[in-house]
Amino acid sequence: MTRAQNSAERPWHACTWLVWAIAATASLQIAPSPLYVALVIAIATLVVSVYGLDSPYARAYPLLVGLAMVFAALRVALTALTTHGGPHVLFTLPSLTLPNWLGGFTVGSSIEGPIIAQAAYEGFVIVGVVAVFAAFNAVVSHYELVQSLPRAFHELGLVVAVGVAFVPTTITAIHDVREADRARTGGRVVRRGRLVRQIVPVLETGLERAITLAESMDSRGFARGGSTPRESGAAWCGAAGLLGLAGAFVALVAGESTVALVLVCTGFAAVVLAMVVASTGSTRVRYRPRRLTRADVALMAAVCAAPIALTVLSIAGDASLVWVASPLRWPALHVLPVIALGALVAPLVRRPVLARTVGTVTSTSARQQEVAA
Amino acid sequence: MSALEYRDVRFGYPDGPDALTGVTLDVPAGDVVLVVGDSGSGKSTLLRAANGLVPHSSGGRFAGTVVTFGRDTRTHTPRELADVVGFVAQDPEAQFVVDRVEHDVAFALENLGLPELVMRRRVEEALDAMGIAHLRDRSPSSLSGGERQRAAIAGALAAAPQALVLDEPTSQLDPQGADDVLAALGRLNADLGTTVLIAEHRLERAAPLAHHVVVLEAGAVHAVGLPGPVLADFPGAPSVTALGRLLGWDPPPLTVRDARARALSGGREALHGAVAPASGSSPATVTDLPAPGPALVSARGLGVDLGGRSVLHDVSFDVHAGDVVALLGRNGAGKTTLLRALGELLRPTRGRVDATVAVGCVPQNPSSVLFAPTVRAELRETIRLLGRDDDAAIDHWLDALGLTHHAARHPRSLSGGERQRVAIAAVAVGGAPVLLLDEPTRGMDAASRRALHDAVVQHARGGGAVVLATHDVELAAECATTAVVLGDGDVVAAGDARDVLAGSLFAPQVLRVLPPFLTVAEVATALAREDRP
Repeated sequence: MTRAQNSAERPWHACTWLVWAIAATASLQIAPSPLYVALVIAIATLVVSVYGLDSPYARAYPLLVGLAMVFAALRVALTALTTHGGPHVLFTLPSLTLPNWLGGFTVGSSIEGPIIAQAAYEGFVIVGVVAVFAAFNAVVSHYELVQSLPRAFHELGLVVAVGVAFVPTTITAIHDVREADRARTGGRVVRRGRLVRQIVPVLETGLERAITLAESMDSRGFARGGSTPRESGAAWCGAAGLLGLAGAFVALVAGESTVALVLVCTGFAAVVLAMVVASTGSTRVRYRPRRLTRADVALMAAVCAAPIALTVLSIAGDASLVWVASPLRWPALHVLPVIALGALVAPLVRRPVLARTVGTVTSTSARQQEVAA
Repeated sequence: MSALEYRDVRFGYPDGPDALTGVTLDVPAGDVVLVVGDSGSGKSTLLRAANGLVPHSSGGRFAGTVVTFGRDTRTHTPRELADVVGFVAQDPEAQFVVDRVEHDVAFALENLGLPELVMRRRVEEALDAMGIAHLRDRSPSSLSGGERQRAAIAGALAAAPQALVLDEPTSQLDPQGADDVLAALGRLNADLGTTVLIAEHRLERAAPLAHHVVVLEAGAVHAVGLPGPVLADFPGAPSVTALGRLLGWDPPPLTVRDARARALSGGREALHGAVAPASGSSPATVTDLPAPGPALVSARGLGVDLGGRSVLHDVSFDVHAGDVVALLGRNGAGKTTLLRALGELLRPTRGRVDATVAVGCVPQNPSSVLFAPTVRAELRETIRLLGRDDDAAIDHWLDALGLTHHAARHPRSLSGGERQRVAIAAVAVGGAPVLLLDEPTRGMDAASRRALHDAVVQHARGGGAVVLATHDVELAAECATTAVVLGDGDVVAAGDARDVLAGSLFAPQVLRVLPPFLTVAEVATALAREDRP
């Protein structure tokens, strides 16, 4: 019953969601036209509303998307103020040219329509990426993700997961503190000095929680015994592999393709070796790790169809995928890319069953059993 | 054999005064040992020394030895003691590592590197021992307080430790949740022989469970012994114990059952004379109820929806000048929501709240209010925010809540109960005639409760009103004039505090032993009347 309930509440494996998020992000990069980005954001929002259940991460979703929009708007303003030269001047502001040691560019001056449009377009893609990331966080079990890591990275992954978990609790704390601040003055809002009044309790509460959690982990033997030489060997090997891959990227940018090729090969080999050593050599066992089911694999394949189909369309020369700000015109919407992006809705074939009401019923029945006993 | 041996343990936190000043104590294996004492008497420090969190995690000055099942904590870190001592901190919410109960319970086992089959068995056993097998797939944040605390204990228990150390495990819980947790601990001790070291303020439920009680005072052991004799002289003793002390019952009872047996076998005689004259009239003659003043806040047809769920429906009641309203009901019944609506922190979905005067609201978690460097500055801040300058009010509230000697301290360095009082003072100093207090006695020791009780009564007598959302029935019996019981968002009982409390499961202990008396103070008054014919 437990297994069934488990998969009923979270129908998809964390790795499946990871693949979904990667596929969605890749689709955004291949088809950055605003209408397609809007479609991906809509899909991400739908996914959160269906799978986010009542998790604090799901409540953080609108906040993160809003934050991304603020940053996008800021970026538009900065770009419009500092980038010049082009047709369609909307209006002209008083200008100021910075000295050379500050970059030497002109702030203000003429503000052009296409430059604003281009910056907004690029900003919107970033909003899309953040929406996908926030949706991924809202639906995924972070611990499940940590469990899927090779053993050698388990402790590190857990620390990261615990760190991520502080985001929603901090949001809750901010809400509580704001309310307490209003309650203190009988509902009257006093703006002066409000930031300090609100930030100090949030930080201190967060710190206290962090200490409690650290002590709880310590008391339960976290990182006891350290890692075996084999595990740490694997970890170092993996780190070296990643470093090699990063080096390959740098070499590629510098135009050293032979060096890049060598680095890619050795880096990739090192990562694979690390994975193999870490997963076979570990004597320690994880408690009931969730395994990928056939449905998970099928879904991974389905969502991967989206970026693959978009790539094919892009090679075939579909002009609607990318939008150009100049000359300014309404972005086009074609049927095929929409169908391709539709693959990202595939997770919805299985819906979670809310366990909320079930929980209260079982807890009362358990009480009755206790009383009877 | 001793499970834990403390030998002349002295400890001071970094930059702080000494928390322990020479504790020598043996905790016998297989016993339940209850540690009591005022806030700041060193209970938490004593407990945290059991598995080496003091001094390994806390830092500070440590002297003496603590030997836990033959391992010296100076040479063994908490993680090396994880297989013999399980530790559960006060705040259950902050100690979950994994967002699923079952996996959180398995966390210690994974760290100990046990084989898979052993882990499976241990997790099942721990879930069963705490009666939470049906919650295994839930996220800890979705559980009720009692369930969450039991899940935290299961997490400590899975490693099959020989001793469990719990710091005020029931302080955040409603009576139901507290019962569940303590019953589970009792079962654990009886069935598995696990040594339990537990610190508590509210002793009504914990005292009957204990084999030994340790009273701490200013970082030293004041008394150790059997619960009855030791608690007889302790100010925070359960009401029945205080009653037994008043009536000269020896040994003083610890449970309602003991006390009732005692009352039936002659203990009541002492009171016959006192009860008889009052029995014809209303019991309210025992305390003098002032006539209700004008309505200060009135709610009409109040309904609140949160997250698409109706949390309150059609609640109507008035708060009059001079009222102390006790808002009772289990966790999740809508008490906090009602307070927030009355305090206009929340816009009601239906109905309305009319307040003729200012309303101040103190949230459940005092930490969300406190930010100033000293207690006095914390109070001054409220006055300043209201655009006034009134040192007399600051002194008045510091004095009323017994905080005068803490005025120069940092609010966060105080204990839970003291912080709660600072938060109340910081709101009350604004001069709002109506005060809404959400669970004000959480984690409070006897002295803090006394101070709070006096301040509440004084505020109401002065023409104000106080609404207390509380699980503390004894507090409600001692100071409430009106009681409102909420059940699933509805008012299920409302009216004179005495009538409501007398007719419900929420009856205070004294009422269950010597009706119609509600509190020890009432019995004392009646006895005094009898002596003065």
